[in-house]
Formats: sequence, structure tokens, C-alpha cells
Amino acid sequence: MSPAAIMLSMTVNGEPVQVAAPPHWTLLEVLRYRLDLIGSKQGCDKGDCGACTVQIDGVPQLACLTLAIHAEGRAVTTVEGLGLLAGGVHPLQDAFDRHTAAQCGFCTPGILLSAEALLRKRGREVSRAEVCEALAGNLCRCTGYTKIIDAVVDASRVMAGANTQEAGRGE
Amino acid sequence: MLRLPQFEVVAPESVADVVTALQRPGARVIAGGTDILPNLKHHLGTPQHPAELPPVLVSLSRVTALRGVALDEAAGVLRIGAGVTLSQLSEHPEVQRRFPSLSQSAGAVASPPIRNMGTIGGNVNLDTRCRYVNQTHFWREALGGGCLKSEGNVCHVVPGGRNCVAAMSSDNVPVLISLDATIVQAGPEGVRELPIEEFYKADGLAHTNAKPGEVTTELRVPLPKGPRRSHYIKWSVRKSIDFPLVSVALRFDLGEDEATVAAVKVVVGVLGSKPRTLSKLDDVVGKKFGDPAVARMVSDAAYAQCKPLENVPYEAAYRRDMIRVYTRRAIEALAASAE
Amino acid sequence: MASDDAEREATGDGIGEASAAVGDEASEQAERDRVAWQLGKSHRKVDAMERMRGVTRYTDDLKLPGMLHAKILRSPHAHARIKSIDSSAALAMPGVFAVVTGQDFKIPYGIIPWTPDENALAVDKVCHVGDGLAALAAVDEDTANAALRAIKVEYDVLKPYFDPEEALKVRDREGTINPYSRKGNVSKHVLLEFGDIEAELARADLVIEGEYFFEGTTHGAIEPHCALAHVDGGGVLTVWSATQVSHYLHRELAKVLELPAHKIRVIQPPLGGAFGGKSEPFDLEFVVAKLAMKTGRPVKLLYTREEVFYAHRGRHPMKMRHRTGFTRDGGLLGVDARTILDGGAYSSFGLVTTYYSGQLMCSPYIFPAYRFDSTRAYTNKPACGPKRGHGSVQPRFAMEIQLDKASVALGLDPIELRRRNAIKAGEKTVNEFQVGSSGFLECLEKVERSSGWVAKRRELPYGRGIGIAGSTYISGTNYPIYPNEMPQAAVQICLDRSGRARVFSGANDIGQGSNTMLAVIVSEELGIPLEDIRVLSADTDLCPVDLGAYSSRITLMVGNACLDAAQRLRRKVCESVAKRWGVSRKRVTLAGRMAIDREDPARHVDSAQAFQWAEADHGLLGETGSYNTPKDRHGEYRGGTIGASPAYSFTAHVAEVEVDAETGLVEVKTIWIAHDCGKALSRKIVEGQIEGSTYMGFGEALMERHAVDPAHRGVHVGPSFLDYRMPTFLDTPDLEAMIVEAPDANGPYGAKEAGEGPLHSSIPAIANAIYDAVGIRLDRLPFSPQTVLAALRQREERERAGQLAPHKPADRESRRSA
Ligand SMILES: Cc1cc2nc3c(=O)[nH]c(=O)nc-3n(C[C@H](O)[C@H](O)[C@H](O)COP(=O)(O)OP(=O)(O)OC[C@H]3O[C@@H](n4cnc5c(N)ncnc54)[C@H](O)[C@@H]3O)c2cc1C
Ligand code: SF4
Ligand code: FES
Ligand code: FES
Repeated sequence: MSPAAIMLSMTVNGEPVQVAAPPHWTLLEVLRYRLDLIGSKQGCDKGDCGACTVQIDGVPQLACLTLAIHAEGRAVTTVEGLGLLAGGVHPLQDAFDRHTAAQCGFCTPGILLSAEALLRKRGREVSRAEVCEALAGNLCRCTGYTKIIDAVVDASRVMAGANTQEAGRGE
Repeated sequence: MLRLPQFEVVAPESVADVVTALQRPGARVIAGGTDILPNLKHHLGTPQHPAELPPVLVSLSRVTALRGVALDEAAGVLRIGAGVTLSQLSEHPEVQRRFPSLSQSAGAVASPPIRNMGTIGGNVNLDTRCRYVNQTHFWREALGGGCLKSEGNVCHVVPGGRNCVAAMSSDNVPVLISLDATIVQAGPEGVRELPIEEFYKADGLAHTNAKPGEVTTELRVPLPKGPRRSHYIKWSVRKSIDFPLVSVALRFDLGEDEATVAAVKVVVGVLGSKPRTLSKLDDVVGKKFGDPAVARMVSDAAYAQCKPLENVPYEAAYRRDMIRVYTRRAIEALAASAE
Repeated sequence: MASDDAEREATGDGIGEASAAVGDEASEQAERDRVAWQLGKSHRKVDAMERMRGVTRYTDDLKLPGMLHAKILRSPHAHARIKSIDSSAALAMPGVFAVVTGQDFKIPYGIIPWTPDENALAVDKVCHVGDGLAALAAVDEDTANAALRAIKVEYDVLKPYFDPEEALKVRDREGTINPYSRKGNVSKHVLLEFGDIEAELARADLVIEGEYFFEGTTHGAIEPHCALAHVDGGGVLTVWSATQVSHYLHRELAKVLELPAHKIRVIQPPLGGAFGGKSEPFDLEFVVAKLAMKTGRPVKLLYTREEVFYAHRGRHPMKMRHRTGFTRDGGLLGVDARTILDGGAYSSFGLVTTYYSGQLMCSPYIFPAYRFDSTRAYTNKPACGPKRGHGSVQPRFAMEIQLDKASVALGLDPIELRRRNAIKAGEKTVNEFQVGSSGFLECLEKVERSSGWVAKRRELPYGRGIGIAGSTYISGTNYPIYPNEMPQAAVQICLDRSGRARVFSGANDIGQGSNTMLAVIVSEELGIPLEDIRVLSADTDLCPVDLGAYSSRITLMVGNACLDAAQRLRRKVCESVAKRWGVSRKRVTLAGRMAIDREDPARHVDSAQAFQWAEADHGLLGETGSYNTPKDRHGEYRGGTIGASPAYSFTAHVAEVEVDAETGLVEVKTIWIAHDCGKALSRKIVEGQIEGSTYMGFGEALMERHAVDPAHRGVHVGPSFLDYRMPTFLDTPDLEAMIVEAPDANGPYGAKEAGEGPLHSSIPAIANAIYDAVGIRLDRLPFSPQTVLAALRQREERERAGQLAPHKPADRESRRSA
């Protein structure tokens, strides 16, 4: 049976969380099986597929290769933090929905978190090539990627538009 | 899920404390975890005792001192902390400007999320890889009980071989060697700096000269003293996620005319457990970089001196041919872009 | 906000069109054609948003109180007799609750009722590396794993067979792999002949002979298989499983566990991809069920990725010899095909696969004579089964290269050659399948035009090439897997006073969008937007039986059943509204969440009011719809029903590639795909199926390889997503999907399949493009760089020996001099 769990403190989707987990548990296990944040998926459990991608301090990382202990004191964002817990639908999720970029949707949470980091970093409309580069660690077996690329580019346009509008309003 | 074996984790805040923590029997360093965790999930233990799993992992996650990239003009080196991630390294402006091949190799590792996690310290200490060992415990049992590097006592790559020839598969190591980088090791006996080229040895079980209880703290790359052309070649079946199947680091130092080859260093990875620095390239020195003979001579030498093995999941003969083709092409392209 | 958009997207100008239809007395079919306020638009899928927000629970996201975790002990031997299993030490470990072995599952099962040749866990012998033989339930996975290691098994290791041809030669019991086989290692043999093939080949001006090998590949759905079982206080066993065939799972559970079917409930939670890989029961479902029964606690089992590779049921490796005869002007005279299928250790769908490997080759071309002789062998490998494009992707590869070779030999444009032989609507294939609609010619024309075929054929330089291939696929099979006279599909729809609809369907949405498809049909008929429709699917307690997501049957079959039910309700609603307005029923139409008077569009009520009127007139509004296949679409011969379908889809692919003659690397630049799906009910979903299928074919063509290593005891060559290389974002070519619509009388609104057909011809199109680029024929998959290089070297030798003229000589000359 498992060794003694240790208490971890981290911020998950903006909220402080205390959770107990054995030291050999990964962040993915803690998220899914302790915190019931089941949006983060598991496809290979060893870094090969990207389904478990979350953001740690805003940077996309693989939860299946992150010891839970390594999230101590850090800010973890899961797909739930992107729309649901932010009180709605993220523009990326909206774009994915319009383009039917999620077929089975199993790869989608990881892809959304990789894509969100890209759009945040660029802060402008992105090119298809940029999308492919940024998402190259996330496998999707359903879509052939085309509609995902369409959706991310579209979302970046929407978000860039929103940014300029907000900037305009601010003045 | 693919379960990790049980272990304890300690996370000291200083290098000294890391060194102390590493005194515990079987303790191992974990940095980004992108190599050690898949290996542990596969029940691959310490290099020297492959079937023994570490009871404790010493995490570098809180050692902030290892995270910087600093240009030390006085010493004429770029200092790269062992904890710098591959993304940070690849995207660092000084690295991009002064060491394009290093920026390329760091940016060619695995995939974007893995580069956001994996560190350069972990990359230079990356365990050697083999198609017969980087599999689950069950798979190796089905193979007949593993091999020298796991639970068994045979080698499946070199039948009858008593020496493991698992492949040094780091993208950055060939580049760092080509750039004459040094590696800084902190251990119970103090800190030492040695040329990274001397850090590796031809033994797939223990392929580095790290002493027990040592941790890598820094990589130091000498700044170029004159014009230089460098490039990193990686070929793998997919353009992302995959480990390299062909891996060549090129460095040409040019004379003040920016045309005559003053020095050349070419290092090839993914052969056996140690990267190979090509010898017999002296004839290239003094030639014009744009001279087609340069590309031909270097690539022929690469072909003659490098013999890939069936240790990684791809045909060795093909990989050998490709070392030549890609080396020649890369040099031609470098020469063309320089003109 | 999201839903408003959806309405806008889908509604478009539909209402305007509806109201313009003043005074029309046409039939309901004509009315629908014109109104079509939902059909053919793009929709937000009914279930995608909550998947994307992390709310939807897939199987492994379910958790029950007191849930135990199960693990399966797997054989490290490819072929061995089990002498003994001692699990006492494991059972004695703290935290271990129960152990099961093959002795607990002595009743064999099989997805095909005629070939029940596997047990949930091996009883007497194990037949491939990874075959399961014992399992246990424990408090957590770590404990379960530790306990597995404490189970002692003694084996008698037997000689394994990895080569199907070698396995087929075995006659003795000892070498017979499958414990239930009565014909040595022959799993299935089919020989069928139509017309006089020898005579046709004898009179042919040109006979092309070729040998092809199609390597095994696997599905690679990102979600691993997972199942959870629970026995409630009343003794009802519920199994949640990531399956694409709940009904068959239900039946086999009943059989193997010896429980009455009504004591079992199977629920398929939302699925993370399947592609055929989840279309039959697997060991894990029986194991969790039995362990839940034994322990009285809920039990879950999640496969590791490696175990998914052992479960497999992927594409059969096939070795194919084709002889194809042509007239001088390219007329196809006959095909003579011999095929060896490497089936792995169990039958799976193999009986069907063996038929499909021949039966599905008789279209999209028409020809007078055909013979196929297919033999499926048992080997000591993970069992092969249905993968997207089941059974016919491999022979299609052979067939389309044969055609290409003929076009070169005859000096004909390969598109023209295909055009000359294309099957037309209403024609019968040589194996007596009745083809209804056919948009094949239009598919050819679309890819020809969009790819710039004509110019590129002439102008692409050496190293760059363009290739074509065509294919066809079924929209479900005319007969279900087990013979019965009940409907092949059934749907139940209820309307409620708030203006909403609930759709109950047994069909499995595996990501392909079948729930959305049903919602689109209901929306179209009942005038309410998709967001007002709840689709409840794949729960054997709540939903009518459906046979599952395979053979591309859902849109046509379940769609028809749904349309049937929806139209009954539509008539009731329109009638009640018409009665209130004192007009004829025909004047009332339903669209845009309203019932509208066609002749006076200003007069309308909202849907809720309309439904209330209807409920007042008829009582609670609920209807069922059923669909059964026409039984007159095939020939009267043994096997004649297998592969016969109510409607056939058609596809054409053009691929443009660049071949690096020095490295052997093939880079696929663009693939243009035109697919005839009859009628696109929801456009972007259809495009997504076309793109996803083509992507999957592309991966098989260039990099994927599911095989075992005969030199190393039959271990899998790399059961992980690292070693089984599936294309990433950076590897995938541009995919240009084009929809062709040749409506079929048998499809709902004319719709046919779109989920599998567009895989087939992507592979030969790439092969043919490689030929165009550098003049080499790749008759083996995958097209790895070393095989390309080897073929190039061979060609060079033959050129040097004067046996072959240089390929694209003009271009090579000009480049040499440049
Ligand atoms: C799917 C996948 C693909 C990959 N592809 C590539 C690839 O293409 N190219 C490539 O080079 N690598 C690849 N890797 C391996 C790995 O991601 C990288 O090499 C990475 O840089 C390792 O760094 P890390 O910090 O994660 O190392 P860790 O996993 O933390 O450690 C790796 C090893 O180094 C030791 N170690 C770590 N830091 C130190 C230190 N400071 N001092 C002493 N010892 C130390 C550890 O004890 C361990 O033995 C891949 C990994 C995965 C999962
Ligand atoms: S090279 Fe030989 S000993 Fe080393 S890991 Fe591979 S098979 Fe084992
Ligand atoms: S589950 Fe983490 S990368 Fe596949
Ligand atoms: S949508 Fe199914 S894997 Fe991407």
C-alpha cells in the first residue's frame, strides 16, 4: 500500500489548494483522482501524447511527468480554469466549437492549454505554421489537425480584435 | 496508469544541500523529470544498478541558483545553469546570436511541453537509450528477462557482447562538445570543471564520468573569438516528439576573411554510448568554406568514422548513409547562406 | 452566448426560404428539400463544449464509493500452455480483494457468433505476448501491481508462429494456435468467383501482375480502454465501458457471466476515440464485472497504453497477389486476387475481414470477372480486427496501384482510366451488389480540378509527383452480426411542453458526431434548434438497442430510424397546429423554434405552444422509429450478404508529394479529397471525418507499424506512442476536403457514410504520386525512406542496364545542365 502522503499547497485555477498525496504520485494523478479535475486526460502516461498538458505558472507542461511535489507553491491551470471556473467559455473553446475542432475531445484539453499559451505569448493573430510548432507535442488522432489549426487561428483573430477593442475603451 | 515505483522526494534549496542529500544510498537527482520519470515508470533503476530503484529522489526544483544564463565577457564564456530549461535556452537571445547550433539543438528536443520542463542539466545527464531497454518491465520480461542494462545479462544489440552500447541520445551534447564547452560538477569532494567531451565514456550502463554524489551545476561555453558557422542536424521520423536518429553538430571557425576555415569540429551523436568527435579533418583547415570539397571531405569522414548500431528503433545502415548526406547538405547550406 | 451563435449559424436564411414557400402543394419530401433549415449547415456539436471545458466524464473519470482497481496478469510468452497458476500469495496480500483466472470464464465468446474462439482470460494456453490469464482487484493500482507479481504461473512454452504462411502449413494439434480452432491455423478461407476470370484474363490486351504487402497498423485512439463495473443491491450489474458496441458487449457479458441480459446494464460514457479499436468486448470488461460480482464493490480497470497495443484488433497485415486484365483502351476486364491475412491469435471480426478483403473490391469500377481467394491465418500475435476502413484498405492499396501501372503501360491518364471504368448509379457490381447512387465521377472531377492535375501531370519536375486513387465504402451492412429479424436500428423521441426533444438512441458516439447527427435530424423535422434537443445514447437501460458504431452504419441506419420517429411527431404537431388555425396540415411548417403558416408567415406560434397543442390532442408525445435494411441488394450465394450495403460512398484522392532521391524521404505536400457522402447533414462534421480519415491513411502510408519481432520471442516492436509513430501537427500535409453529394434513396435525406471511406484511397494516391515523382513502385507499406532508397537504386540499375528509360528525362537533363 502507498507510503505516507504528504501535504502539498498549490494554486489550482486561481484558488489555493491543499492536498495530500504520496511522493511518487504525479500531478496528473493528484488533479484527476484527488482534486477530481478530470479535464486533464491521460493517454500514455509517459510524455508521448500531450493529453495531460496543463500550465504551470503559465507554461504548458506535462502533468504525467511532473511529480505532484514539484507543483508545490506553484500556480497550476487546467482546462477547467480556462472556461468553466472563469465563469464561461474561453474564446478558444468557442472557436473550437464553431469549427468542430473537437471530435472525441480527448486531446482537446491539452491542446487548448498549449494553444492558450501560444496566443498569450504572441498577443496577436498567429499563423498556421506557428500553431503547428506550438502544438507539436499534442497528438490528435481524430481530426487530422486541420480544424484545430483553423480554430486556433480564428481564436487568435477574435482575441486580437477583443484586445484592440479593450484598449480603445480604456482610453 | 503506468505507475511510478515508490520513493521519497527531498527538495533542498542549495547545491550544498543537494550534494549532502545525494549521500543517501541510491539517491538520484531529478530535475525536469522528463527522462528519469519515464525510466522509473519502466522500472529502470540507477545506471550502475539497473534493477535497483532509487529510494529517494533529490529534486533540484528549489535550487534557484541553477536557473540563470549569464554572459561572462571577462571569462569569455556563456554560463548556463543546469536548471535552465531547454525552451529558455533555445529562445535566449544571446544563445541565438552567439551559438545558433545550441539554440537549434535545444529547440529540437522532444516537443514544446517537454522543452518547457526538461533542463540542460538533465539533458547532458540523459540516460543512454536502447530499443531493448526503454520499454516496460513486462516487455523486458517477455524479451527473456531484459539485458545488461536492466534485469538480464545479455545484450540484444551486440549478441555475445559484454558491454552495453545503448545510444547517447541527447540533442545538446554533440553541440556542447563541438563548442568546447565545459561542465561543472559539484560533489562531496568539491567543485570541478572538465571539458564536457571528457565527461562521456563508452559504457551504456554508466556513460558519464560523474563521480558518486555529484550534481551538474553549470555548462560553460567559450565565446567565439572570430567568425563562426555552426549548425545542428537532427533527423527523426517525425518532426516532433521523437528522439534523434541522426544527430550531428557542426562548427567551423573562420579566419578574419570570413571565408577560410581556421578550425573545425564535428561531433556525431546516437552511435554508441559516447558521442564521436570526428578526427582527421585537418585537411579542411585552410580551405575556403565555400569550397565544395569542404562539405565532401567532412561528410565522407563522418561516414567513414561513424557506425550506428541497431540500438535505437531504426535501421543502422540507413542512419549511417544519412549522416553523410545530411552533413554534406548542412555544410553546403551554411556556405550558401554565408555568401 | 454560444448557443445563440449556433442558432444563427444553422438558421441562416432558412426561415425566409420557408416562408417563401407559399402555396406549395408538393410532397413532404419536396418540402423538406426546400426548407432544409438545418441540413447541410455547420453545427456546433451537441456534446463538444462540455468535453472541452473538462466537465464531461469519460470512463476513467468515473469514480464510485469503495471502488477497487483491477489489473490483469499478461503472458510474457507468445505461445505457451498454462500448467498452473498459484494466486494464493497474491490473495493473501493486504488490500487484495479477489483474483480471477480463465477458470472463471470458461465460456468462450467472439464478436462474430460463428467464431467464439477466445476466453476473457486464457484457460489452457496463452497465444501472444500480452495475452491475459489472471486478474485481481485491490484497493489501488500499486497494490494490484504488487499482487500481480506474487501470482506464480508455470508455463510449457510452445513453438510460436509469427509468419502466417508458415502457420498455415501446421496441421498438428501442438502447433494449432487457437484453442478452439478445428482447421489448424486456418482461421477463415473464402474463395469466390464471378464471371469467367481465366477467360477474361486470356483475352485481355494487358495483364498486370503485382504482389503487395500491407503492414499491420493500429487505431491509436488517445483514450485507453477503461471499464468500471458495479453490482447494485438488487443484483443488477452495471458496466461502464469505453466501448463502441454496447449491445454486443451486453450480449457477451450475459453469455460469459451466465447472467440474464436484463440483469445487466451497459453504459458507454463519452468516448475518447475508437476507430474500430473498441468494437468488441475485451478482457477488461469481463474482468471488472466478475470482480465486482465477487467482491460486491465497484471495480475499475484502465489499460496502460501498452495493454492497448496488446488488445489491438487493428489492421490485418495482408499479403496480396493481384492479376488485373485490361483492354487496350483501358477497360477493366477482371481481377484475380489471392490474399493471406495475418489474423493474430483470435478471430475477432476476422470472418468478416476475410470476406471484406475481397467483397469490397468490386466498386467503384465495373468489370465482368472477379475471383478472390482469401485465407486468414492464426498467428501468435495480438488479434487483428476492424480498423477504420475495415478489410478493404489493404486490397484497395493493391488494386489502385494495379490501375496506375496499367495507365502507364497503356499511356492513359490514370484519371481517365478510372473514369472509363467507373460504376454508375443503379449498376450492379460483378459480385452482384446493387449500387444505388454514385458520385464517383464527380469525386474524380473535383480532385482533378482542385489539384491542378492536368498541368501538374505535365509540369512537375523530377522528384515531385502527383497521384490519384479512388475507392468506395459501405454505409452499414445489410445484415447484423447475429441473425435476427428485428430492426437494425431504432430510436425513440419524446417531446415536452417546454418545446424540447429528448432522443434515445443506442448508437455509440465515438467522437464521430453521431449524437449531433441525430439532433440535426430532429431539429430539421421538428423546427427546434440543436440546443433544445437532448440526445441520450448508448445506455442499454434507457435506449433502444442499437448495434453500435462499426461498418459506418450509424448515419444511414440510425439516421433513418430517427427520421422515421421525427416525421411521425412532425405530422402530429403540424396537424394540431393546423387544427387550431383551421388550415390544412400541409400549410404548417416547423422551423426556427416556431410553427409557421407557410401561406401567411406572419402567423406563427413558438414550438412550446405547438407541442402543447399536440400533447393536448394526442397525449404525451413520444414516437419510436425503426430502420431495417433492404434485403434485395445482394446476390444469392454463400457470403453474398457480407459487404452488401444499402448505400455506398465514393472517394477520390489526389496526393502531391516530394521525394528526396538522396534521403528517400517522402514529403506529402497536399492531399485533395472528394468524398460522396450522399448528403452532408452537418458540413463541418463531414469535413472533419474526411480530414481525419485521410490523416490516418497518411500515417499508415508513411510511418506506422504494428508488428512483433520474430527474432525476439514475438515482443511488440514498440507498444507506446513514442515507438508507434503517429503523425504530429508538423508532419501532417495540407488536407483539402471536398464534399460531393449524390443523394441515395436509402439514406436519410440521401445521406451515406463519411467516417471510413475517405481513408482508403489516400494510401495508394500517395504511392502513385511517388511513382510519378521518381518512377518507383512501392508495393509494401510503410513507405519508409530506406525502402524508397532501395527502390531508387534498383531502378537506377535497370536504367543503367538499359532495361528502363529514365523517369522524367527532360527535366533531369535540364537540371543537370543548369
Ligand atoms: C517523449 C519524449 C521525447 C524526448 N525526446 C528527446 C529528444 O528528442 N532529445 C533529447 O535530447 N531528449 C529527449 N527526451 C529526454 C528528455 O526530455 C530531455 O533529455 C531533457 O532535457 C531531460 O532533462 P530533465 O531535466 O527532464 O532530466 P531529468 O529527467 O530530471 O533527469 C535526467 C537524468 O539526469 C540526471 N540529472 C538531472 N539533472 C542533473 C544535474 N543537474 N546533475 C546531475 N544529474 C542530473 C537525473 O538523475 C537523470 O538521471 C525526450 C523525453 C520524452 C519523454
Ligand atoms: S545495448 Fe545491449 S545491453 Fe545495452 S540496453 Fe541495448 S540491449 Fe541492453
Ligand atoms: S499522458 Fe502525459 S503525455 Fe501522454
Ligand atoms: S479529437 Fe479525438 S483525439 Fe483529438
